[in-house]
Amino acid sequence: MDVPSEFRNPGKRRPKKGGTKPQLYEDTSMQPPPSEYGAHHGQGINMEGYNPSGYGGPPGAGQFPGAQYLNDPMANMAMQYGQSLAGQGTDFVHKNLEKYVSTSRVKYYFAVDTTYVMKKLGMLCFPFTHSDWSIKFNQDQPVAPRDDINAPDLYIPSMAFVTYILIAGVVLGTYNKFTPEQLGIQTSSALVWLILELLILNMSLYIMNLKTDLKYLDIVAYCGYKFVGMIVCLLAGMVFQSTGYYSTLLWFSITIAFFLVQTLRVKILPHSEDSNYSRGSKRSLYLILSISLLQPVMMWWLTGYIMFTK
Amino acid sequence: MLALCTIWQVKCLDVKRHQTLAVLNPFKAAEHDMMQDTDLAGPLVFCLAFGGSLMLCGKLQFGYIYGIGVVGCMAMYFLLNMMSLTGVSVGCVVSVLGYCLLPMVILSSSAVLLSLKGMIGIVLTVLAVVWCSFSSSKLFVSALSMENQQPLVAYPCGLVYGVFALLTVF
Repeated sequence: MDVPSEFRNPGKRRPKKGGTKPQLYEDTSMQPPPSEYGAHHGQGINMEGYNPSGYGGPPGAGQFPGAQYLNDPMANMAMQYGQSLAGQGTDFVHKNLEKYVSTSRVKYYFAVDTTYVMKKLGMLCFPFTHSDWSIKFNQDQPVAPRDDINAPDLYIPSMAFVTYILIAGVVLGTYNKFTPEQLGIQTSSALVWLILELLILNMSLYIMNLKTDLKYLDIVAYCGYKFVGMIVCLLAGMVFQSTGYYSTLLWFSITIAFFLVQTLRVKILPHSEDSNYSRGSKRSLYLILSISLLQPVMMWWLTGYIMFTK
Repeated sequence: MLALCTIWQVKCLDVKRHQTLAVLNPFKAAEHDMMQDTDLAGPLVFCLAFGGSLMLCGKLQFGYIYGIGVVGCMAMYFLLNMMSLTGVSVGCVVSVLGYCLLPMVILSSSAVLLSLKGMIGIVLTVLAVVWCSFSSSKLFVSALSMENQQPLVAYPCGLVYGVFALLTVF
């Protein structure tokens, strides 16, 4: 007699449990199925996260009192208005930004992966063993850096710039001259020099009327590669004082000049094979040399005053 | 009004505990959907705690923390949108960066007791920055599914936390 009732009771309980379970899953249907460890946590959070916004399902056990205040339609409307405002703001920013900087082109310069970054940093420190400097892909479309080691990228220059500001702050701190305003001062002065250099380069490219494939962002990338050398110079100067600073400055001047000569030679020279052959190639040669020699000067200018403020 | 505050606190406490545990244990893999529920209260609490412990060291720098925090979040937002296939929202970036500020708070509270300019201080600072950047990059990579780029995401996070460490040490 007991046995049949025992059999019956679990049977009665099961459909009830099955009845409440689908309701719980409906509440959290937007989430992917949670992992085994996080199952209880996930459902607990999702339950509390979704119930107050009135998505349906009764409050489960242990629900906080006052949940009905957030089911208020006015609160819902206010939340939706806020969300739509945020969406409109983002759209407005994107539309206006798209006019000046083409986001899709910039995205190509940030399509990097770890192996590319490692190899490029190695190339910047020791470019003499690298043999093939040409880019293998079609020049009309931008090349993602992860496909070709010779393509310029904007990740390394931007990271190197910020690291340079940080290391400058550390060096000033070891001389007990650091205040947080110094960070702003260093950033703005380095930015101004960088922008000045970019302007000069763009003007000279325009004046010399060379037909190149160099895009504006390529020049930004090439001017940004010297910050890698500057970081190492500052670190060496911090540890080994003047001798360390000057020897690393010399080494990185040579390497960045060599690197730029090889890279720009591939990009600028092949396109001056028109009627003014000899004049065109001489002009581009002068331009390449001047760009390459400008970099060590800028490196010394931007690091010297930090090293020797005492 | 009181009921609303209680609701907010109880909801946030659960999320905070979950995400704080994710930061405190950097070697445990993060779940993909952890960042769906962006929460800005936890980051705010951590920033205030950071500023408070710096105040105990004699540096009233709440303004700089706020400024650097905003600039760092904007820069990470821009960088992550460029680097990932799916975009991120500002709330997600602020939430992750704010939660991973917890080791920095621990570092600045220890700065009250011992000077950070000695050898031990340097080691502790480097350790804290590495911990922060590792856990924040882990959360970003799991939320955006950028597996082979974790060191590339960790480095900018390390730079942002490095600036905070600079404020703490000097």
